[in-house]
Amino acid sequence: MSRRAGDATSRLVPEPPGPGRQRPYRFPQVVREVMPRGQGQARGQVVAAHLPGQPLAVATLLLGASASHEPTGREGLASVLARALEEGTAARDAAAYALALEGLGAELFTVVDWDSFRVGVEAPVERLPAAVELLAEAARTPRLDPADVTRVRDDEVTSLRMWWAEPGPRADAALRADLFGADQRHGRPVHGDPASVAAVSADEVAAYHQAWLTRPGALLVAGDLDRLDLDALGGAAFAGTSAQPAGADGPAATTARPARRILLVDRPGSVQSTLRLGHTAPPRAHPDYVAMSLAGTVLGGAFTSRLNHLIREVRGYTYGIRADFAHSRRFGAFTVRTAVQTEVTAPALADAVAEISRTHADGVTDAELEVARSFRAGQLSVDMQTPGAIARALTTLVIHGLPDDYHATLRNHLLNATVEEVSAAAATHLRPDRLTLVVEGDAAAIRDQLAVTGLGDLADATV
Amino acid sequence: MPSPSGPGSLTGFPWPVESARLGNGLWVIVSEDHTAPVVAVNLWYDVGSRHEPTGQTGFAHLFEHLMFEGSLHVPKAEHMRLIQGSGGSLNATTNPDRTNYFETVPAEHLELALWLEADRMGALVPALTQETLDNQREVVKNERRQRYDNVPYGDAWLRLLALLYPPGHPYHHATIGSMADLDAADLDTFKAFHTTWYAPNNAVLTVVGDTDAATVFALAERYFAGLAPNPDLPPPPSGSDGDASATGEVAAPIEREARETVVAEVEAPRVYLATRTAPFGSVAYDAVTLLATVLGSGRGSRLYQRLADGARLAQPDSVAAYSVDLAHAPAPLLLTATTRPGVTAEALEAGLAELVDELAAGNPAVAVTAAELDRAKALLTTGWWQQVATVGGRADILGQYATQLGDPARAGEQLPAWLAVTTDQVAEAAAAVLQPHDRVTLTYLPAAKEAAA
Repeated sequence: MSRRAGDATSRLVPEPPGPGRQRPYRFPQVVREVMPRGQGQARGQVVAAHLPGQPLAVATLLLGASASHEPTGREGLASVLARALEEGTAARDAAAYALALEGLGAELFTVVDWDSFRVGVEAPVERLPAAVELLAEAARTPRLDPADVTRVRDDEVTSLRMWWAEPGPRADAALRADLFGADQRHGRPVHGDPASVAAVSADEVAAYHQAWLTRPGALLVAGDLDRLDLDALGGAAFAGTSAQPAGADGPAATTARPARRILLVDRPGSVQSTLRLGHTAPPRAHPDYVAMSLAGTVLGGAFTSRLNHLIREVRGYTYGIRADFAHSRRFGAFTVRTAVQTEVTAPALADAVAEISRTHADGVTDAELEVARSFRAGQLSVDMQTPGAIARALTTLVIHGLPDDYHATLRNHLLNATVEEVSAAAATHLRPDRLTLVVEGDAAAIRDQLAVTGLGDLADATV
Repeated sequence: MPSPSGPGSLTGFPWPVESARLGNGLWVIVSEDHTAPVVAVNLWYDVGSRHEPTGQTGFAHLFEHLMFEGSLHVPKAEHMRLIQGSGGSLNATTNPDRTNYFETVPAEHLELALWLEADRMGALVPALTQETLDNQREVVKNERRQRYDNVPYGDAWLRLLALLYPPGHPYHHATIGSMADLDAADLDTFKAFHTTWYAPNNAVLTVVGDTDAATVFALAERYFAGLAPNPDLPPPPSGSDGDASATGEVAAPIEREARETVVAEVEAPRVYLATRTAPFGSVAYDAVTLLATVLGSGRGSRLYQRLADGARLAQPDSVAAYSVDLAHAPAPLLLTATTRPGVTAEALEAGLAELVDELAAGNPAVAVTAAELDRAKALLTTGWWQQVATVGGRADILGQYATQLGDPARAGEQLPAWLAVTTDQVAEAAAAVLQPHDRVTLTYLPAAKEAAA
């Protein structure tokens, strides 16, 4: 049957077209204000991006109450506080609060990470002022009734227990502990574990709020600024706050492990092995930041990366594999993440280590870097179309003390990075001999194959 | 911006939409927007897992993978390299109804994206090899392991479809397919699959962003007009049992309360309650969307207020209710909740059943109120604008409304249609779709654990 004749009747253009005229890159106009401008009150910073005509707007209150400040044995305290903010305020109970906020089309989102504690709302622009007032009400004047906080704490324990039953979180915890030390805050999971959250008390939650959420912080706004009054938004966000000196927090001391090793996390019956390979890396402010991240892109940051090409597209061992350098203000890590069919755990591990070693030793090629540069530069436009994405970009500016033109500058740095710079960063910052190779899988099925890989000593993880 | 209660001249799509048809039947839709220097290219092929005959489950999705593995003028791995090397993002998805392919690229690379899409629409077959098929079969089997087999409750959707739709119904089997069928897949089947379904007259090409309609129509003519249509597109599948319910706008009632209990490696009992509602695009389905939002979205929802906060039966993170947009038979509505420690599955199921039964019975004392409906409309309004905030999101919606409702301009009517739903319509929807004799209950129970060491 030759209706479409094996496609031979189709007339196609054989050669790919070249690019058209390049459009200029522009990050939205950034406005910074310190307010209130009057005397005698704590001063908060408003950082806003102008998105003309955008129907939605986002406001995020950025505070210093990050996971890094949680006391030992209470990891997850900030996350419990974040959950407890919606359990009623000085002005209304939990149900009334939910109805008021959701009646605006907004829901509170909270983020706790190593550098910040964020509470935000997204709503149609004309409803943002009312949503910000409710955001401030929850952040500044939560009820924190001990019975409610205790229940929220218990819910968080249950939620973590559910999460830890999935493949991944235990492997992540084992890797983190091995990289940074379980005695260090950043050697423990950012949101704690079921045991550390269970140890959190209602008094501690109230004290953490008093210590951190009464500071003004910064308000990040992304939306149509012609329709928003930043003074009013800042006034609502910073009302009743008091200034306190910010503590200094220099880079965290980290030491790479002396030798590569394999850590096994048992997950009986697992039909895949979850792999987490990693080692420590410098903090975000390191001068090699751009070159390092491009090396990460070539190795594992895109579909066309070395790892994904070999382990998915050639071997078929996995649905996908990714690697990156990630950095907070105080520390960083290089991490590879994937899940592979149980039967091929050892060969997949060996392939991944070999690709990291090859990139470390031989650097990157012109052709690969060309793709990585263009990909990362283009993503600055493709990934930043929404108010939420722009608000996250503002978060980066504030947390890392970057200027308004940072994204345009970053784009130029990406496009101008050379093979020599990126290969040098790969040689310096990839350390294949210091990798921790965490394997979460069916130990009974994979222990023997892991013991004879020659990739490093095999030990059982204690998570 | 509109107020949620007064539709007035509101549109949910305040951008221009222009469309044209090529001589070979390809429908081309363009929506111009110069806000960001990016452009989205999106193709909806009107073929999904509902088209798969017995023994070939998972083929539409596995085929989607093959579309990235090279075509006549594009060597293996080159498609990804060209798009990502242009700064673009790309992906594709398959569901029971359709398969979509999409990329967002810096605007100067629009023509490249169109060239790549045309090449794999027109000439995939010459590049299909056994090696590629074998490789992607393993990738897809690992996708199934990762997303369904290796996560707690991961197979719930697979089980619910089988309970909701009878054997032979196009929605009975899940898109991911069975391992046995995937293992049996042979190359000729996939060649025929492309020849049959990947024809310009079975596709909608949508371009949104920093370009203009005249440019796109000219480029579409250049790259796609030479592709041969399939004049013998098979009729939509009717279900192998010949059951009329499989094709029509309404499925026959389940006529029983179907139940399944699964004992598995899960941390806590979970209950799903599911029903068949109305096809996506119908007025009845809009009311179902509001009903689902009232029931399960946010802390102000009935499930949260009653089961998580009130009776404290359910874990707060676990409660949800949502409908799944399927257009070729009554679409599913799912409610789910997971027990708090110390609560039994029976207690949670009773709480869930009580909540829907009282609505189904039409008891005016518990009818959905105007305030509840306004809350749902406000949340849906924000959600709609989030969906159309990117050129990629907008392109997918236009492709969906064109393919399934026959008119991309229907996209502008969706938000006003939601905002126009009344409390009476929600009550009618509840009575129509939540009856105990016409729904399914799926319960997961934790396997007994060995004594802790």
